Amino acid sequence: MAEFHFTLEPQPSLGRADITIGGNRIAERTDLTIVSIATPQGEEEGLASALLDEWGIAVPDPTRSSRAGEIRALRTAPDQILLIFPHANPDAEASARQKLNGRGYTIDQTDAWIILEVSGPNTLAALERLCPLDVASFSEGGAGRTVMEHMGALVLRLADNQFLLMSASSSARSFLHAVETSYRNVL
Amino acid sequence: MIIDHPLLGPRDAAEFVYKGDASLIDRPDGLAASADEMHDYVYLRDNPAGEHRELWYHEQGDRSWLVVTRNTLTHEIIRVELARGVARERGRSR
Amino acid sequence: MNQPNRIDGGLIDRETVLKFQWNERWLTGHPGDTLASALLANGLRLVGRSFKYHRPRGIFTAGSEEPNALVELRKGSAREPNTRATTVELFDGLYATSQNHRGPLEWDVMAVNDLLAPFLSAGFYYKTFMWPKAFWEKLYEPMIRASAGLGRLSGREDPDSYDHGFLHADLLVIGAGPAGLTSALAAARGGARVILADEDFRWGGRLNSESYLLGDRPGADWAMEAASELAAMPNVRLLPRTTVYGAYDHGIYGALERKTDHLPDTGGTPRQVLWRIYSKRALLAAGATERSIAFGNNDRPGIMLAGAVRSYVNRYGVTPGRKVALFTNNEDGLRTASDLSAKGIDVTVLDTREGVHVVHTSGRKALKSITLSDGRTIQADCLAVSGGWSPNVHLTCHHRSRPVWQEEISAFIPGSDLPTGMTVTGAAAGTMTLGAIVRDAHAAGTEIASDFGHRGATGSAPTADDEPFDTKPFWYVQESRARAWVDLQNDVTAKDIRQSHQEGFRSVEHLKRYTTLGMATDQGKTANILGLAIMAEISGRTIPETGTTMFRPPYTPVPIGAFAGRARGKDFRPYRLTPSHDWAAENGADFVEAGLWLRAQWYRLPGEKGWRDSVDREVRTTRSAVGVCDVSTLGKIDIQGRDAADFLNRVYSNAFLKLPVGRVRYGLMLRDDGFAYDDGTSARLSETQFVMTTTTANAVTVFRELEFARQCLWPDLDVHLISTTDAWAQFSVAGPRARILISRIVDGLDVSNEAFPFMACTACTVLGGTPARLFRISFSGELAYEIAVPARYGNSMIQALMAAGKDLGVAPYGTEALGVMRVEKGHVAGNEINGQTTAEMMGLSGMVSQKKDAIGTAMSGREEMARIDGLQLVGFRPVDRSVALTAGAHFLSRGAPEDMAHDEGWMTSVAWSPELGHSIGLGFLKQGRLRHGETIRAFSPVRGQDILVEVCSPHHIDPEGVRQRG
Repeated sequence: MAEFHFTLEPQPSLGRADITIGGNRIAERTDLTIVSIATPQGEEEGLASALLDEWGIAVPDPTRSSRAGEIRALRTAPDQILLIFPHANPDAEASARQKLNGRGYTIDQTDAWIILEVSGPNTLAALERLCPLDVASFSEGGAGRTVMEHMGALVLRLADNQFLLMSASSSARSFLHAVETSYRNVL
Repeated sequence: MIIDHPLLGPRDAAEFVYKGDASLIDRPDGLAASADEMHDYVYLRDNPAGEHRELWYHEQGDRSWLVVTRNTLTHEIIRVELARGVARERGRSR
Repeated sequence: MNQPNRIDGGLIDRETVLKFQWNERWLTGHPGDTLASALLANGLRLVGRSFKYHRPRGIFTAGSEEPNALVELRKGSAREPNTRATTVELFDGLYATSQNHRGPLEWDVMAVNDLLAPFLSAGFYYKTFMWPKAFWEKLYEPMIRASAGLGRLSGREDPDSYDHGFLHADLLVIGAGPAGLTSALAAARGGARVILADEDFRWGGRLNSESYLLGDRPGADWAMEAASELAAMPNVRLLPRTTVYGAYDHGIYGALERKTDHLPDTGGTPRQVLWRIYSKRALLAAGATERSIAFGNNDRPGIMLAGAVRSYVNRYGVTPGRKVALFTNNEDGLRTASDLSAKGIDVTVLDTREGVHVVHTSGRKALKSITLSDGRTIQADCLAVSGGWSPNVHLTCHHRSRPVWQEEISAFIPGSDLPTGMTVTGAAAGTMTLGAIVRDAHAAGTEIASDFGHRGATGSAPTADDEPFDTKPFWYVQESRARAWVDLQNDVTAKDIRQSHQEGFRSVEHLKRYTTLGMATDQGKTANILGLAIMAEISGRTIPETGTTMFRPPYTPVPIGAFAGRARGKDFRPYRLTPSHDWAAENGADFVEAGLWLRAQWYRLPGEKGWRDSVDREVRTTRSAVGVCDVSTLGKIDIQGRDAADFLNRVYSNAFLKLPVGRVRYGLMLRDDGFAYDDGTSARLSETQFVMTTTTANAVTVFRELEFARQCLWPDLDVHLISTTDAWAQFSVAGPRARILISRIVDGLDVSNEAFPFMACTACTVLGGTPARLFRISFSGELAYEIAVPARYGNSMIQALMAAGKDLGVAPYGTEALGVMRVEKGHVAGNEINGQTTAEMMGLSGMVSQKKDAIGTAMSGREEMARIDGLQLVGFRPVDRSVALTAGAHFLSRGAPEDMAHDEGWMTSVAWSPELGHSIGLGFLKQGRLRHGETIRAFSPVRGQDILVEVCSPHHIDPEGVRQRG
């Protein structure tokens, strides 16, 4: 056999879902890269300054995301941060690893998650049917990890009626169904 | 039930997984411990009617193990601590 | 006029006429009516039959405490039994029928039970059906089943949808009567975040049923204004038609909101929503429930509570009768007479405090006359009864607080040990006059707002009179000879209570269970106090000495459908898909549920008749050419840190400290009790980074235990965990041609046996730059690799592998073929590592290093766990090669009796081996490793099998491992 050629096609978990329900929108974000950074024991300050120096972003509080332009950071564990940012190439983790230079342990988590951006006037009402956290009292940037319809999920408030919802990519279809049902049930 | 997470604030117990008595932190060194000590660690628990220190894992949250001091008669939660800190206080290290 | 009992006034919209069906008859009512008020307006008094005796019964109350007027709503699969007519909001097209009768409601043949009453008294179940024993199954049980229950379930799937949700507040106010509205207003004006819930569809509670003035306005008008003010506030959430049914730990309340039950068309949205309300504080303002008096035949249609009569007159513009009598022991009851008189309806007042008692009533299907203790007989079509009011303390008891007796109002009020954060106000707290209720409620709301640090102006309480409320306890008309009913829903009489006492069932909890007093849908809301007052009287104790039964959630019934919510059918739980799922579905895969995962179990080709055809072919293809299996479901944990190797060395029983970078090792995990827990591989990607795999089934719990170990056992080890299971699409590529296939995929990587031997691993790229990981590991026993790419490329990757291997004869294989090959190879899996087995049993004792303290090492050395005559893993093949082995069969020596004493182990896994051409098995056998070649029995009484099997090595093929290392 001659040399084998095949171009791998990426397939987003939900095929770039973009759904309008009433005046609300549920859209799969496929432009974001997620890199997880764990803090080496004793490197808390080193990592904090690396984040500031390299990305201009602060270590987020446990219940809030921090932000620098299009980059957001949020906590997934006391010693673990997710960095979320637009990045076209699959080398985000390698470049982050280089920048941190031992001040954080990195791993690419882009494909572990499905990211839905939900927005519209019924968003808070829909989240009441889905999310046990008091997201109505989140200020912009407020974030938390919880469970929605038996699926672990991250919620992050972008604006009054705009949130990012993240959950495991393998159960993406169940998660979309849960979000969609929540909107349909409050219209 | 609601567990007042030391970092995240009040969270529904549905986000947590229960393990058991916080004495599970005090694992003896398996090479040094006598068979009786190991047996007691693995199998014996107190079952108090009243305050009980127990381990909860924030599985659908920040994955912290917590030591929750709960009154088993009233369900009142008296104290919630990060288990890692408790373990260090009890002399565990590496 | 088609609504003969409709009178002036009321809070209904007379301009709009609603048509509804009752027992197939079309009737009319108005918006604002309940089904009960509309039936009364239409002159219907008989609405149902009682549970046990099938006595004619009418509407007894005007609220959720209704014991009698239970009806079936809607038709077909939407039919809902046991709905209280008094809470059903009337809508156009409502379809309702009466229940618990055979034949028409008016001529129920089961009414014969009433004549058998002497044989059906308290505890009859426990006595009557005891003998003869043979009668139980053939006669008694079918008979009881036929007559048990009230309404009928449709027996079909519920066509309605339900939902659930979460709400948060500083303050939850339960009940929107004068107390609830006043306190909610004060707290919300002050600035607190307030949820106000009421079971009714109209705000105001008793204000809608009474002729009180509040703030110089009719009470109902004041309530509407208060509700409008609250509705306009951004910090207030109003929940009408919502029952707060339970108080749970730490400020969690359960509430059921009936969203569309009152609408002719639901529009497809959920009918009911079950809310979980998180509230720092709660104000219980649930009001009070009126109770009855026991006297002869006090259950006839037309006899109802005095407060309910006022509800029908004042709120619904309906009079329950034209010739009304009032029997009361208190001042409040007298308001019924004055309110009716104001509508021009005469009322005869019979006040126990003046020594007049109702002894007996007549009227076959509805009340016609009443007989008094002085011998008089009065014609009446409605008898209003008031035995005083009992505060609705139910929710205060949900954390085991006991109510306390208060003599002044002859009722139980909330005890002191309330659920944390709960305060009680208004009539629920035993405050029985309107002026005091609103003053207290205003103060309570203001105080709660200030407790939250809010200092906003809360206004002032509305002004109201403190009307007289004098009650003289009176429970039971002793002179009555006819049956005096205590619990209408369960047909419990005063005589039943006497009998319960005589037969020794004297504690209230025994009384309840022996007589059924206070059971079923109404939980005795109108009956309990009466019952225990009579028990107290008989036993010569006071009421507080007699005590009350415990109130538990729910306050009123909650449909099971509401608890299920959306979790129905395929949405019962989430499902997880492998990255190549879509391709598999297009290529003949049948899927099997493995935990939440859907995995391809085999790929059916055209012409293959049964699953075995597909599986055998997949195994043959893999063993002779190359097969590809999506193994992404295995748990994958990224482990990093300076102490990562040390950590693995402590959680695996075998050594990991010196595993070189670029190598994989099979690892065994034990529990601390020494039993085997899980197995998998860990690959060392760098000095500080490993990737661990776990079994699919244990992925979550292993991760949890590893977190426990790093946070609680060795908190200062520098080690970090993150699950990467979903991040990677991972494929096993197995078979003699696997290397050729892999070499076509990877970018410039030497995969020769020398450069990339068995148990090697590396990060690499595939197909022109896509990041990947390659592992040389084998579960099938063949030359095999696992190749991982980011999950988004998974569906494309399997197509690439199929295309690249086409000339090699590649085929995908599913979990069945995977299982067959691992049984052939003798690898242990979940059937063997089942939580009861040890490394020693599985022949893996070499993997338990005694040189280090890993989890489980110490206890695995216990004497009993290493018994020389213990169970050991071996292989089996049938002596008659044409016979299929059975998993679960037990082993017996030839000629041994078939009992547990001679049991020698069991078969854990079986498969049909295409390579060997016969059935093979794995199993645990006593001293099995010494018994290779022996013939024993595999005995399975469950499957009806008793065959001879030959003991052999568990490695049915390639025991030396030549293939996987080649």
